[in-house]
Amino acid sequence: MKPAAFTYARPADWNAALALLGEGARPVAGGQSLGPMLNLRLALPEAVADLRHLPGYAGVELAGEVVRIGAGTTHAAIEDGAVPGRLGEILASVARRIAYRPVRNRGTIGGSFAHADPAADWVAVLPAFPGHAVLLGPQGERRVPLAGFVLGVFETALRADELLRAIELPVLPQATRWGHWKFCRKPGEFSKATACLLAVPGAAPRAVLAALDAAPLVLADAAALRAAPAAEAARLVATLGLEDPWRASLARVALRHAAEAAA
Amino acid sequence: MKLSLTVNGQATTLEAEPRTHLADLLRGELLLTGTHIGCEHGVCGACTVEVDGAPARSCLLHAGACAGASVRSIEGFAEDPVMAALREGFSAEHALQCGYCTPGMLVVARDIVLRLPHADEARVREELAGNLCRCTGYRGIVRAILGVLAARRGAAT
Amino acid sequence: MTAPRSGHGVGASLRRKEDARFLLGRGRYVGDIRPAGTLEVAFLRSPVAHARLLGVTKPAGAEQRVFVAADLPEIGPIRANSALPGFRVSEQPALAQGKLRHVGEVIAACVAPSRAEAEDLVAACELDYAALPVVSDMLAARAPGAPLIHEHWPDNAFLETRRDEDLSDLDAVAAAKVVRRLRTARQSMAPIEGRGVLAEWDPRLEQLVVTTATQQPHVTKTGLAECLGLDEGQIRVVSPDVGGGFGYKAILLAEELACAALAMRLGRPVRWLEDRLEQLTANANCREHHYEVTAWADAGGKLLGVEVNATVDAGAYSAYPFSACLEAAQIGSIFPGPYTLPRFRFHTVSACTNKPPILPYRGVARTGVCYAMETTLDALARQLKLPPEQVRQANLVPPEAMPYRNLVGKVFDSGDYPEALRRAVAAVDVAGIRARQAAGEAVGFGLAVFCEQGAHGTSVYHGWGIPFVPGFEQAQARFTPDGVLEIRTGVHSHGQGLETTLAQVAHQILGVDPARVRVVHGDTALTPYSTGTWGSRAMVMAGGAVAEACTQLGERALAIGAALLQAPRAACVLRDGAVHAGEAKVTLDQVARTWFRSPQNLPADVDRGGLEVTAGYRPDPDTGTHSYAAHAVVAKVDTETGCVTLESYVIVEDGGTLVNPMIVDGQVLGGTAQGIGTALYEEMPFDSEGQPLAGTLADYLLPGATEVPDIRIDHMETPSPWTRFGQKGIGESGAIGPPAAILNAINDALAGRGAEVLDLPATPARVLAAIERALA
Repeated sequence: MKPAAFTYARPADWNAALALLGEGARPVAGGQSLGPMLNLRLALPEAVADLRHLPGYAGVELAGEVVRIGAGTTHAAIEDGAVPGRLGEILASVARRIAYRPVRNRGTIGGSFAHADPAADWVAVLPAFPGHAVLLGPQGERRVPLAGFVLGVFETALRADELLRAIELPVLPQATRWGHWKFCRKPGEFSKATACLLAVPGAAPRAVLAALDAAPLVLADAAALRAAPAAEAARLVATLGLEDPWRASLARVALRHAAEAAA
Repeated sequence: MKLSLTVNGQATTLEAEPRTHLADLLRGELLLTGTHIGCEHGVCGACTVEVDGAPARSCLLHAGACAGASVRSIEGFAEDPVMAALREGFSAEHALQCGYCTPGMLVVARDIVLRLPHADEARVREELAGNLCRCTGYRGIVRAILGVLAARRGAAT
Repeated sequence: MTAPRSGHGVGASLRRKEDARFLLGRGRYVGDIRPAGTLEVAFLRSPVAHARLLGVTKPAGAEQRVFVAADLPEIGPIRANSALPGFRVSEQPALAQGKLRHVGEVIAACVAPSRAEAEDLVAACELDYAALPVVSDMLAARAPGAPLIHEHWPDNAFLETRRDEDLSDLDAVAAAKVVRRLRTARQSMAPIEGRGVLAEWDPRLEQLVVTTATQQPHVTKTGLAECLGLDEGQIRVVSPDVGGGFGYKAILLAEELACAALAMRLGRPVRWLEDRLEQLTANANCREHHYEVTAWADAGGKLLGVEVNATVDAGAYSAYPFSACLEAAQIGSIFPGPYTLPRFRFHTVSACTNKPPILPYRGVARTGVCYAMETTLDALARQLKLPPEQVRQANLVPPEAMPYRNLVGKVFDSGDYPEALRRAVAAVDVAGIRARQAAGEAVGFGLAVFCEQGAHGTSVYHGWGIPFVPGFEQAQARFTPDGVLEIRTGVHSHGQGLETTLAQVAHQILGVDPARVRVVHGDTALTPYSTGTWGSRAMVMAGGAVAEACTQLGERALAIGAALLQAPRAACVLRDGAVHAGEAKVTLDQVARTWFRSPQNLPADVDRGGLEVTAGYRPDPDTGTHSYAAHAVVAKVDTETGCVTLESYVIVEDGGTLVNPMIVDGQVLGGTAQGIGTALYEEMPFDSEGQPLAGTLADYLLPGATEVPDIRIDHMETPSPWTRFGQKGIGESGAIGPPAAILNAINDALAGRGAEVLDLPATPARVLAAIERALA
């Protein structure tokens, strides 16, 4: 299980990274998703551009009411409290349950989000937040709402010549309620159903249902779910037309648990 | 590609194909065969080594990503007191049989001990989830780690 | 000779001598060995389950680095015959010829300086084949008109066995009758180290040296000789440290033959290291059974009779040396288990399918048999409204009947089976569980009682007539001139701790400090012939052989010591590593030093046998030891997700005299973890085209630290009357009981809902489906 041959480049700045992208290089951050695909020869890039050493790629900045998380920030850093406040608590609780610590030490929030595996944790969680993905292309930066970033299975709003640079999230009041539930038979297993619900005081609660082999389902107003978790979960899942009764049951349970935990 | 990195405290320069992963670099080029290859897709944990001070899967780090890194493999813990205590505990608790998962297990065990000094049994088990052992049923491994944690807590009070 | 007083002999939980090198990362496995100039091999493997092979187009310019069957005609086919009447032997080519019979079958060997480049060659090969209809299921394999996998056979069966006894009267007299159809999944044994082979030709010794991760180096040597047309003296097999066996490495490999032939052809070391993708997709090769069980009982739960129709999916070929029928052909003889079954009828089939050939995985047929028998007993208990332990107590062989011969001629050596069950039940708060059930909680209590025949020898295996009939196990005991005791054994230790336990046995006999005992294994050039480590035989057979060799060596040392002490031999005793005559003594170090280096100090008429002894051993009778156990499990079912949590797990185990209780516990715990995998997690699904669907360990789930509870073990120690120290084979026991005990607990938890899970593993999807079936 050795990769096919590829060339490796480590761009020193963002322009160099974009130039490599233009030449067809495959961007890689922590490599915890791409690595297995390379070894299994499921991914056959001719060139790889390692983003890890780009300036500002990793790290968390607070600018007014916005927390900017560099795309190259590792899951482990978030688990260990790199993000301040109530938002940080919530993200840390999610990060801790991603894969295993040695994977979290390398894997990054941006790499995982951009990879857009439907079972991935950030794919299932970030769309619940009223924030933005910061994309950088030859024409400069643009911002895409987090709820609209992941478009399908391994499919995102990123254009072929763009990189994910950062995730911008709002500072959350301490009274923010949060519920998150995912189904894994063992820690680190790919989730078979993930749901979360974010209730920021004064705003409509938002919820996400994910890990269903499709783009995440985002509920911009989850008030009904929050009010009647079991009934609303059943109603929502019934609309999805899931073929596998087990996965449908897991989806209902996930939504309900997430809503109840955020009550 | 030419590659410079630090391995077990020694600066090293080697020539490698970009597709070669760190486990193969350590084992093939540097003859550090204590790092074992189990799955090459990041699940089993046998190849876990310390990279820049934190455990990482050496099968998922291809050569380029290792440039400039500081790597510590199981051979690099000879002077480490926590590792010495873990080795003693592993033997006393019969935490190894065939020995194949053991180096990766020890690297992760040491990280648990240092990072989570108050970990209880449930947390230790959760933290071990990314290291598979097919021989022992894990009880000895869990007990060895809990024993080292308890001894360190005792020494700290 | 008297037992040592050191506390390091038989019965001591001595720490393992082999631990130090593993803890330092200094174990030496096949993959750690790479002589200069080694060429790496990657194999082109069949992408389809059944096809006519039309040809391989080698990459341009690489014609000399890609080898197909026609390029290596010196390799003969692998044939693992059985003498059982009606057995059909397959011919398995090392490199496919004419037909492809399972996904992953080796077609061509691609050779390059690195594995990555060898894989590049594989990717550049073009394969031409014509697909054939696929037999992907063992029951479909038997359907009329099923495609034939070996076209000269009349049907897809390696072997059928039966016992005819008319049970038609039982319907009229039985208080309860249950019928169950049960299925166990195909598994991958998944040792963390894969297989690996390094082959070299040694021109000095004119010898092929094959370093390979095997549990049985001598058997591999014989198999290589047969298939390559070499004398056994021209082959040396080295099995270095091996990262887990479990049966996966008890086979002669097509890859070993290919590497050996290539090393001789190319004059270079040639190495192949199995990767996880190969292991999962080409070698998921065990445990797939189907049972149809009918059982009749009286109102007290006493079995009146059992009928079982069993099919084992044996895959496409008969693997060497254990053959394609090892599992199915055993089912008839082991199905009665620890019970006094009065009447019994069976029919078994070793079905040939387009899947990898099966190997005996830890527990071999016992895990499936225990699952079928124990779940059937619980079904009877539910129907009779009796506690599950009461139904078992009504049928267990009582201790006063030992040694006991059952209706199929199986002989049980010793033990108190009912007591093991009593202790296991007493360790669980059954009343508490019943109360929780009454409150609506889906929690359940499950039992399994079973015995493990181990270390069975000639009298059992000669009837099966497989290529290797185990017989007289040999060991060598020898002193080095500085007084170190060297034990050389042909079995192999790959986690079992034999470097420690055989040293304990030697210490028990000779009193030499275990730190001064070196156990040498894993090299046919250094060790006496042996059929290897499998069948829970090593501690009984090699332990007995080491004791015998040490006893004889002790006699030799006694003679020399007596001469040195100038005392009559009859006045001398060997104790604590020295020869004593009254107050005078001479240590074994001095004895060895004198014999080898200062013979002038010995009288001319001293015994000239020397201080190197090879001795053979066989227990009498050699029908095998029977360790036994009762497993008691409390499991909780999440009825919304189908998830099962093991709340507690208790094992009462009797392995006779325990040579090293710490190591025995390790074996039981590790086996139980594997059994938990069989029960709840591990499954290699194949689609209707025979494609394996779990290619990574993210799909094929192995139990981790969070899936294995803190298991409690309670030991009984009933010595076997037939073995050297009363020890019994116990290495597989842990893997036998869990599927039965866990599924019984699940079904107890679901009984109130009328649901029952029948197929393994009890995945959340299966559990939920069972609940929904009951609701429908």
